[in-house]
Amino acid sequence: MRCAECTELLSAYMDDELMRDEQEAVREHLATCSECAREEQALAGTSRRIKENLMRHATPDVLKARIRNSLARDDAFTPAPVPRRPAWTRWPALAAAGLVVAVASSTIAASLTRRSLASDAIAETIVDAHIRSLMPGHLTDVVSTDQHQVKPWFNGRVDLSPAVPNLDSAGFLLTGGRVDYVDGRAIPVVTYTRRQHVINVFAEPADGRSSSAHETRNGYHMVEWQSGGLEYWAVSDLNSAELEQFIALFKRG
Amino acid sequence: MSQRDVERFERIVLPHLDDAYTLARYLVRDEHDAQDVVQDAVLRALRYFDGYREGDARAWLLAIVRNCCMTWLRRDHGTKNVISFDAGAPSVPDPRETDARAIQRSERAALTRALDALPDEFREVIVLREIQELSYKEISDVVGVPIGTVMSRLARGRKRLAVALGLGAKEAS
Ligand SMILES: [Zn+2]
Repeated sequence: MRCAECTELLSAYMDDELMRDEQEAVREHLATCSECAREEQALAGTSRRIKENLMRHATPDVLKARIRNSLARDDAFTPAPVPRRPAWTRWPALAAAGLVVAVASSTIAASLTRRSLASDAIAETIVDAHIRSLMPGHLTDVVSTDQHQVKPWFNGRVDLSPAVPNLDSAGFLLTGGRVDYVDGRAIPVVTYTRRQHVINVFAEPADGRSSSAHETRNGYHMVEWQSGGLEYWAVSDLNSAELEQFIALFKRG
Repeated sequence: MSQRDVERFERIVLPHLDDAYTLARYLVRDEHDAQDVVQDAVLRALRYFDGYREGDARAWLLAIVRNCCMTWLRRDHGTKNVISFDAGAPSVPDPRETDARAIQRSERAALTRALDALPDEFREVIVLREIQELSYKEISDVVGVPIGTVMSRLARGRKRLAVALGLGAKEAS
């Protein structure tokens, strides 16, 4: 076997996808030709590095929910051609997330422990905003683990300045901030994570009424409190004990 | 399509969702676009499910996902703007990160860049073979080309990667 032919077959040889006699011929050539043997080393090294470093991805829960949701929809049963979406933008994804919320709220009864939130509608929009933020690429506008970058980032974007405490030592990691539109207003959101759980902290000017609440909606815990002239909501699927711990630390700054 | 057909679809096809999503992630190279493409592909798969008889459900689904990805790639897609302080500067190393992990992270980044830069027809066979471990026959079914073409694309794709990673001495042909 000549080197040119060997080089041609090396990749399939590594995959054990050659005919037996070809496989044998390549093996013999490699035993006697150091240049082709080096080439094989390079290809095998490349292959190994891909396998070691590049992973298979698990389907995100949000995508599973979107798929379950579309399979359950009536139009999935009609044999009509797939409707063309106007463009591949993020907005269909948001619409789908909205549908997930609608389905979830009709099946899971909201258990309200104390009903002193300003209104159900606001709680609903905040949970919506939380779920929307879990879509890929939506959690943070500014990505930073540094409170001294996140806090000034809000200047000029919103007219109030939320607390951005550093809670690293307690295991609540600052991941960044963003501006959300809730109820037609731009409001700052500070984001933290604990293990795989996202905590969104929304802030608004306090309206003077002293209010605090803790409720569970669509599986998300929501806690409201006031501090420093601002009204905060924390939303997360973290268990309530840890969320309460987070809020106690957040209040302390 | 009856409720029973949808249940059969969920039982036979949905177990391969991670494979579908993995392929889309490496082909379209963006997690949020990959989600849109996979959702569209699964709905198409449901509509074509009548045409699926027996056989390899994974390869059948991957072929649909692959076609949706290629359609997506052929359209003109601008790059996204993400405001990020950390992205501009060389990423701030986490002080808790060990040297070994830092090395692995930079190696992974180099590999991802090299793979992302490959032409689509090479990237797809590399992903299907190296990450998803399909046989040449299965790859030929998914991509819709003869086994000989799979063989030569894999050989050329690997060669280019080896050169990009500084492992290959010879010029890629
Ligand atoms: Zn040789």
